Amino acid sequence: MIVCVAVVGHQNNPLYIQSFTEADDALKLHHIVHCSLDVVDERVNNPKKSGPMLNETFLGMLYPIENYKVYGYLTNTKVKFILVTTDLDVKDADVRNFFRRFHSAYVDAVSNPFHVPGKKITSRTFAERVSTIVKSFGFSSAA
Amino acid sequence: MVREVSESCVDSLMTEMVACYCNRFYANKPELAARRIEAIGYQVGQQLSERYTMERPRFGDHLEAIKFICKDFWSEVFKKQIDNLKTNHRGTFVLQDNKFPWLARMSVDPSADNVSSVEDYSAPTAESKAAQAMSMHLYFPCGIIRGALSNLGIPCAVSADISSLPACSFVVRIKA
Amino acid sequence: MRTEENHNTVEVAVYAEFRSDWTEALKFYEEAYHTLREIVGVTTRLPPIQRLVEIKSVSEQLHFKISTLLLHSGKVTEAVTWFRQHKNTYRRLVGAPEAILVHWEWMSRQYLVFGELLETSSKATQNFPPVILGSSSKPLSEWEYYPAYYYQLAAHYLSEKRSALELAISMSEIPNEVDIGADSVVPSAYVGQFARLLEEGDNVDMLPLTDEGYTHYAVAEGKRFRDSLEIIALLKKAYESYSGIKVQRMSSFCGFQMAKEYFAEGEIGNAKQIFDNIAILYRTEGWVTLLWDVLGYLRECSRRNGTVKDFVEYSLEMAALPISSDTGVQKDTGPAGPASILQREIVHKEVFELVGEASVLTKNEDSSNLKISADEFVQLEVDLVSPLRLVMFASVAFHEQTIKPGTSTSITISLLSHLPLTVEIDRLEIQFNQSSCNFIIANAQKQHYVEDGDTLKQRTETAPTLSLVSNKWLRLTYNIQSDQSGKLECLSVIAKIGSHLAICCRAESPASLDSLPLWTLEDCTQTVPIKDAVLVFSGLKSTQVEEPDPQVDLCLGASGPALIGEVFLVPVTLVSKGHAVYSGELKINLVDVKGGGLFSPRDSEPYSMESHHVQLLGISGPEGEDESQLDSDNIKKIQQSFGLISVPFIKNGDSWSCKLEIKWHRPKPIMLYVSLGYKPNGYEPNNAQMVHVHKNLQIEGKNAIVINHHYLMPFRRDPLLLTKNKEALESDQPEPLPSNQNTVLVVSAKNCTEVPLRLKSISIEEEDGVERTCSIQHGNEELSDPALLVPGEEFKKVFSVNSNINISKLILGTACLRWRRDLGVEEKSASTATLSSWVVTKQKLPDMNVELPPLIVSLECPPYAILGDPFTYNIRILNQTQLLQEIKYSLADAQSFVLCGYHNDTVYVLPKSEHIVSYKLVPLASGMQQVPRFSMTSVRYSAAYQPSNSSSTVFVFPSKPHFKTAASTIFRVEESVANE
Repeated sequence: MIVCVAVVGHQNNPLYIQSFTEADDALKLHHIVHCSLDVVDERVNNPKKSGPMLNETFLGMLYPIENYKVYGYLTNTKVKFILVTTDLDVKDADVRNFFRRFHSAYVDAVSNPFHVPGKKITSRTFAERVSTIVKSFGFSSAA
Repeated sequence: MVREVSESCVDSLMTEMVACYCNRFYANKPELAARRIEAIGYQVGQQLSERYTMERPRFGDHLEAIKFICKDFWSEVFKKQIDNLKTNHRGTFVLQDNKFPWLARMSVDPSADNVSSVEDYSAPTAESKAAQAMSMHLYFPCGIIRGALSNLGIPCAVSADISSLPACSFVVRIKA
Repeated sequence: MRTEENHNTVEVAVYAEFRSDWTEALKFYEEAYHTLREIVGVTTRLPPIQRLVEIKSVSEQLHFKISTLLLHSGKVTEAVTWFRQHKNTYRRLVGAPEAILVHWEWMSRQYLVFGELLETSSKATQNFPPVILGSSSKPLSEWEYYPAYYYQLAAHYLSEKRSALELAISMSEIPNEVDIGADSVVPSAYVGQFARLLEEGDNVDMLPLTDEGYTHYAVAEGKRFRDSLEIIALLKKAYESYSGIKVQRMSSFCGFQMAKEYFAEGEIGNAKQIFDNIAILYRTEGWVTLLWDVLGYLRECSRRNGTVKDFVEYSLEMAALPISSDTGVQKDTGPAGPASILQREIVHKEVFELVGEASVLTKNEDSSNLKISADEFVQLEVDLVSPLRLVMFASVAFHEQTIKPGTSTSITISLLSHLPLTVEIDRLEIQFNQSSCNFIIANAQKQHYVEDGDTLKQRTETAPTLSLVSNKWLRLTYNIQSDQSGKLECLSVIAKIGSHLAICCRAESPASLDSLPLWTLEDCTQTVPIKDAVLVFSGLKSTQVEEPDPQVDLCLGASGPALIGEVFLVPVTLVSKGHAVYSGELKINLVDVKGGGLFSPRDSEPYSMESHHVQLLGISGPEGEDESQLDSDNIKKIQQSFGLISVPFIKNGDSWSCKLEIKWHRPKPIMLYVSLGYKPNGYEPNNAQMVHVHKNLQIEGKNAIVINHHYLMPFRRDPLLLTKNKEALESDQPEPLPSNQNTVLVVSAKNCTEVPLRLKSISIEEEDGVERTCSIQHGNEELSDPALLVPGEEFKKVFSVNSNINISKLILGTACLRWRRDLGVEEKSASTATLSSWVVTKQKLPDMNVELPPLIVSLECPPYAILGDPFTYNIRILNQTQLLQEIKYSLADAQSFVLCGYHNDTVYVLPKSEHIVSYKLVPLASGMQQVPRFSMTSVRYSAAYQPSNSSSTVFVFPSKPHFKTAASTIFRVEESVANE
């Protein structure tokens, strides 16, 4: 299950962060997302280590922490998407698929002329689309 | 399904926007008008670049990004590619479009403004006036390029210059 | 049976290790480990909790051995993979819920031990292993190679253990008797097994333990340790390790947890320091929710410390954070409370209550240490980098970029606050760099606050209301004027709120609004401080106050163009018309009009040794006083193109003058800039403002005299110069001169100015170090009466030049002219001092080639002829060589003359001798007539010769003239003044 998704701007500022848990650990998830930016930086600045995934937008699993797995995605415009999941067995393809749909939702949101680039995404439509994508995570590959 | 926009609509919108800013909002303040128009282009460029880079891996260096602007980006926006790309390898790129669509329907009226130049001896000639009006139309595409590149992490300054209609070249200077 | 088997495997492994057979040892340890996993759930020898404890202890031992061996042999990736596997295998084996703390403790220990192993091995090897990522289905993250990661998780599990322990303690209100029982529990001889020690006299016996007993024992053991210290130690390790590799966000997170532990332990100083560090990162990256939490702790820290200022700052920052309801963080355990607008308002109210009324504060009867005494004042500074910019932000713009002194302009002060509730400002103090401009804007509704004695002097404006509404600009426009010239800059805006709070905002220009922090204008529509669109882009917090208009005239009275070489005088006159001049200073600058510069170091013309084309020589004192130069005290500085002199005190209505002496070396137009700086009154020695007057004048530097020269041969005496014939006219070189002959040199000087000049002398001077190769004779050195040269007129002087023999180059030297301007009517009365100031103009005369002519032809004919009278026309051919010369000559017919003699002939001229060809001519017509043209060819040199036209004419009188005196010789070496 996805517990948190986030969009982080190129100055590492949060543009959108949403948690999907019943438990009240939103702040903890914010911390996890924030810490994962270190891994993104590490991956991007030392591309040699990532080997075959050179310059791919999908960054793979960033790091395992306690009961979570954190995945990352970096767009060409230096915007980071972070996904935190509690699932133990996650298929890479599922995550990729998730990020692809998330990305297009994001692009639609920032293409809104009333959205100020670099500012938080406040669109309600975007939030709804994201929650749909989050809910269908894991099923889409089967369908 | 790709949604498309009528070209003539965009052309008219462009003309109207430039006219509005130059003659109504910021009449007699061409620098401010230019700044506003450029700013609009900047935002458009940022948003377009967000969409057009969606399905591609990240760019390794500046040249790759510039090439993307010349090829894919330009094709998406203008249905043609930049005709010539030059660089001095020190952060300056010249993108030349031999038939820039937004200038394609523009011409200089050689007989314009003979009367007005009498009253003021320092009044610009008809030719330079036309050049100024034309350059107003180029702030928007300059802004688009700047917006797209800075959104790709390349802060730069973009200027345009018209050699002979409808050819046009955009000079991109990347800030160190 | 299985246990036995395993036991054997371990023994083999230990033996192999002892033999340093690492691979063998590893193999057996791994085997033992795997066997152990199979045992889990099979053996029933011990009660379930203790059984699990035993298995975990054994596996821990084996795992430790395996990890050590792997790391020792540099197989870091295998070790990490092994650890992950180990961790995953046992993570789920929590065991009975009442003994869960034992599990967490065990987990924490696994992480800690592996982290330490990893750290020692990476220190020893130093080389980071190549990471293979994405290859296997479960790739390793690079994070799993950092020891800090393990420390962090060790701390995490330890805190789990702590909460489990607390739960266990609270659940079991156990009387002391069991505790006594727990005292006697000791580890048994076997790894991971515990037994109760029974002492009966000397007889010590080990009894197996029940699970319940073991649990009591574990809880009792747990109580003995202060876990939080252990957790802090672990987090500190992680924090430092992450900081060491510049992983700042992870380290901040560890720091945050660590600070929370400190906070819980009551170590406020440590906690605050760490929280402050972390807050910086969250601020710069705009993580509002995280910052909110940290600030909440910091606020509590300052509350406990009793530091009011900190408390106010943190509270205001929290209240101003851009938190809307949708942050997702609704409930939180931190002291900040949920991040929401409501909470922001609560914080806002609390802080303004605190600073608002000192007396009311006492009703805060809780244990708060915060007290503001009646005379205490909290002043907050808000500068460009302060986080409090959100609380209050002051943008100041002058409406004009320059103003005249004494005239007023508008200034707009715009304040913006992101505080959630409206703030009532009691008064605003606007401060400038010119303190006389400071003023106060008082709130009409709170007049009673203005009672300070010292502020009464200041200008006070009253505004009907000074309410700072959340996220709305408060714009105030007032007039302002300054008498002091120079920069007028708004420094700060101080807002006094209540009797105990002042917020001092550094004034900012609207143009610099872009540099606000990332998230300042988030969630609210972006507004501009000023409605005027132009001022938004270009408005500045400073303006330039111009100087008062000068009331002193500065006149530059130069006439006409300057002449090169002369000392050109530019009279400068200062006339005071309303201002007295105190400590005046005159600055003089010479600037090339064309911008080429007055200085050309590379230009190496020999005649102007001065590298400056135009030079400021000096400044002479005012007319009427003594003629000498100004006192050296007054002249502060004179350079080639710059001068600075001080002007004495000039009373109102008086005047003062001086003369600038400028000399040109080249024809060049220059711009002369003269500026006077003075103080209009002398009673303010330091801060009186200077007034400046500027004047400039373009002066052309022109050549006064053009010197020309040409050579003349002796009349009717022509040498045959071979080079002249050969090179004909094509060559640029001047014609060579015959050597060993008297030649006439005419030097002419032409006045090319528009004023009359006086010429004193023309001479030819030998050049330094260069020997002259000829003798020059001329008349008087100086003209007894200097010759007047009106514009355009030319003066000629004739020199006779006699070149020495055996030279190839004639070096003459330099033509040297002494002249000055004609003084006109004053010419007679001018004193000797003036007359002595002759200007010397020099010009080098080019060197001439000379050669020895082999033949010289002289035509001899009388000065005039009379119609019908025959006369003799002799042609002398002088052979100067040692050779026999064969000459072919011819004489053409002339209409005006009848002649007899050979028309064509060939003669031989003997060496060093002369041949004379003689004709008798009878003139047939009067007037200037051309005598029959003689031409000859030297066969040896195949060089033709023809005399010039002028030398072959003669004047024929119709009848014999009657002269009073005899006709003079044809030419004479003398000077002649051309007085046309």
